[in-house]
Amino acid sequence: MEYAQSRDLVRADDGPLDLSAFPGTWVNSNPETSGIARLLMTEENGRLTLQVYAVGPEGLIDWGRVDAEPFTATPASRAGTGFTCVYDFGFAETELQAMLLKGLMVLAQLHRFKDASGRMDYFVREYFALSHGRY
Amino acid sequence: MAQTVEFKQTGDLHPALADPATRTLNAGKLTGRWLNTDTETRGVAEITIAQEGGHFRVRVAGAGEGGPVNWPTARARVMANLEEEAGQRAVALAAVFDFGFMKVESYLRVNKGVLVIVAYHTFLDASGRSNYVNREFFHRAD
Repeated sequence: MEYAQSRDLVRADDGPLDLSAFPGTWVNSNPETSGIARLLMTEENGRLTLQVYAVGPEGLIDWGRVDAEPFTATPASRAGTGFTCVYDFGFAETELQAMLLKGLMVLAQLHRFKDASGRMDYFVREYFALSHGRY
Repeated sequence: MAQTVEFKQTGDLHPALADPATRTLNAGKLTGRWLNTDTETRGVAEITIAQEGGHFRVRVAGAGEGGPVNWPTARARVMANLEEEAGQRAVALAAVFDFGFMKVESYLRVNKGVLVIVAYHTFLDASGRSNYVNREFFHRAD
């Protein structure tokens, strides 16, 4: 078995991933964010999708829905604890890379500009909590 | 910044993104040799980051059964990191390591003198191993 680090030397059983930690509305812990306000995540038949609402000068901007690729915490685990996805806006492309830590989503945003604006690519890391809607 | 550029969130309009000085902002905070804070790690043992002009190269040694496993060298993409905790403006790096049997997409940043790498491992072989994400912390070797 090929490996790049000892952690990868495991026997793994094929089987469906548990994606139950993801579905719901995730809200940015920073009410003053100039980035993503909230995420809506859904899971259907093992397919994870994501819809982003970001803060714009005149209100929220809907980025639309994309598929997300789930990740677990170890190569032997089947419990989803992270995901990645890509949004292509034409003038820019954004990779989202998330980890769930103790119920909190740590979301890294890698923004790359493809236009001639001269803007530098930039990185943002924000925290999101799952809205439970109880009160 | 004049609002004639396209944007998808307010953060795209930050004036610092168009400032040439941002491209090398505190880049020295990332360069050098870094050792995992966990001396028993079964993951990444050490990372060396070098700046070559406007580019960065990332070299990684994984902890192997019989010694370090050298990863393929990655040329990193540099990103402005304007909102690091406690106002630490710097750059962050995105690095992809392609092993053939596996691909690792990672981002690296420094937070209060600690190098943090978050790596997403995707297995491309038929081993049945789950794609997984891991975060590790490193201190300077020198």
